[in-house]
Amino acid sequence: MMSDMLKQYGEIIGFHATDSLLVIAEKLRGKKIVHVNSTKEGGGVAEILSSMVPLSRELGLDVSWEVIEGDEPFFSCTKTLHNSLQGMAGGLSDGQIASYTETNRRNAERLKDCLEEADYVFIHDPQPAALLGMIPGRKGKWIWRCHIDVSAPNRSVWRFVKRQVEGYDASIFSLSDFAQPLPHPQFLITPSIDPLSEKNIPLSKTEIEKTYRELGVPRDKPIILQVSRFDRFKDPLGVIESYRIAKEYVDIRLVLAGGGATDDPESGQVLSAVQEAAAGDPDIAVLVLPPDAHRAINALQSGADVIVQKSTREGFGLTVSEGMWKRKPVIGGDVGGIRLQVINRFNGFRVRSPEGAAIRIRYLLTHRWKRERMGVNARQYVLENFLITGQLRNYLSLLVTLDGGEGEWERWI
Amino acid sequence: MNTTGADGPFRFMECSILPVSTGLRAQTLRELRSAIPEIPESSLYYHFWGRMLRPHIAESEFNNDFASWADGGLGDIELAEVLSAINPVKCKDFAELRSILEDILESRIDQGDFLSWKKADREFYFIACRKFMFATGKVASSLEDFPAAVKTATRQSFFHHFLDGRRRSPEGKDDFTLWLEQFGETTAEVRRLLGRVDSYLFSLGELKGQIVSILEKGLRKGGKK
Repeated sequence: MMSDMLKQYGEIIGFHATDSLLVIAEKLRGKKIVHVNSTKEGGGVAEILSSMVPLSRELGLDVSWEVIEGDEPFFSCTKTLHNSLQGMAGGLSDGQIASYTETNRRNAERLKDCLEEADYVFIHDPQPAALLGMIPGRKGKWIWRCHIDVSAPNRSVWRFVKRQVEGYDASIFSLSDFAQPLPHPQFLITPSIDPLSEKNIPLSKTEIEKTYRELGVPRDKPIILQVSRFDRFKDPLGVIESYRIAKEYVDIRLVLAGGGATDDPESGQVLSAVQEAAAGDPDIAVLVLPPDAHRAINALQSGADVIVQKSTREGFGLTVSEGMWKRKPVIGGDVGGIRLQVINRFNGFRVRSPEGAAIRIRYLLTHRWKRERMGVNARQYVLENFLITGQLRNYLSLLVTLDGGEGEWERWI
Repeated sequence: MNTTGADGPFRFMECSILPVSTGLRAQTLRELRSAIPEIPESSLYYHFWGRMLRPHIAESEFNNDFASWADGGLGDIELAEVLSAINPVKCKDFAELRSILEDILESRIDQGDFLSWKKADREFYFIACRKFMFATGKVASSLEDFPAAVKTATRQSFFHHFLDGRRRSPEGKDDFTLWLEQFGETTAEVRRLLGRVDSYLFSLGELKGQIVSILEKGLRKGGKK
């Protein structure tokens, strides 16, 4: 009998689609699956796992989620890793490498039993990637899931990461542009959003109004919103510039809402720069929200007129799908996974400069019918392509495929 | 290959297609041409058929990834049009499809040096895939039940039976048509209409709507029009 949770997903994606998930999951019944990442909350990976793990369990699968424990030097190292893999110059110091290795070793000791007996292990991003080499008694298949844009990485740092991940049985990248030469199959699977999570469920108008009020943002002017970590690659300063250019033509408010994550020590510096740039302008609201402010973010997105995600580098950009799910066209940077989600003039616009974002903001605010039409397209596009049920289906299919070996690419099971 | 149970109820199957990077990419027409012999069959499958299950919109002008890239990446609309005219269902196997593709690219390269070396705005990434097919456990036992069953089938199931079915069948017939054949003259008109549907001009959702409409109208009242 279908559980309540599956019924709720079935009402959104169709009951035959949830039945298919059950059929695929049946082929993995009795197998132990473990996910490992570096933070329980904050950021897209933690959000995806928060939904994927319970949903997997509803399908009858034995799934657990482990989080590696690290200290400040470790997260400073992994932030450098993250930035360098997205192309920033520089490299890892010997001290950082030592901290990375030692932290992974300590976590390997702690998680040894669980990881040794697992049939499948998903290691998310570079932070816990070294665990593979530290669990020599592993019996299962290990998959490295890279969530970041590594299309043009700093080569010396990539060589370091490559040494950690080349022993995996497979890896997963969000886009073909990100795949790197590795001696195992590299699957291409996009991330997704959960329509049942607090961040994406439908909210009442009253709650939306109340949230805006509580956050001190009047709704007397059209709202332009960017939700993202205070991270340089999300280009919050570029968004402020776009707002200033657009404001010469349309009277608007800008809301920049985000927070940090426990594994991102750099966010404080970026936030300070944003606050400085916004200082003195009563129509800019910089909101620092706690990592669990999912409902508030939902309300902000639901109440916004135009959603912006003007990233200059982006692994995928879950906030784009989140905005689109709320029937909002999104103005996104023409990079990474945003390219996959935003189709020009169909469900939003892709831009390459603050000027480009400004002109699209003006366009959407002055073409209401167009904005609404694009919003409808946006919702449908997410429904068909970027929901958690689809991503989980792909993950489970991958595991089934790995069990099939290297033979024929096409087979009946 | 008809796997639906040609003489009994229609057994709904579906597939999962997982894209896999080949590591091959091209930025010019010459690079694209020289990679074609290297790519696995599953890459041809992915770029011609797999796109229907990927994020795409109905307004896409071209019906395979090579044509889309020729237009959007190279800005060569003429080549895009020629590539788009390839009907992969008419090829007897992947070798024939590969050879048609090679001939078209070769011929375009022969037409002018500038075209063959022009750098595209974005690279073409050759993607292969792994695919598996499985029984869903759903069946439709009668003609009356059939349209509703197709209507509620998943996207992957519809893709498997209608689009991929045409590839698997030596005569280029979809699974629905093959199953309907057992009912003889009663379903002749529906089968004729199904055979005329151009599967490359619509998104998967639109295509499904069209097929369901044909089935609903044609099979009403026990299959009589």
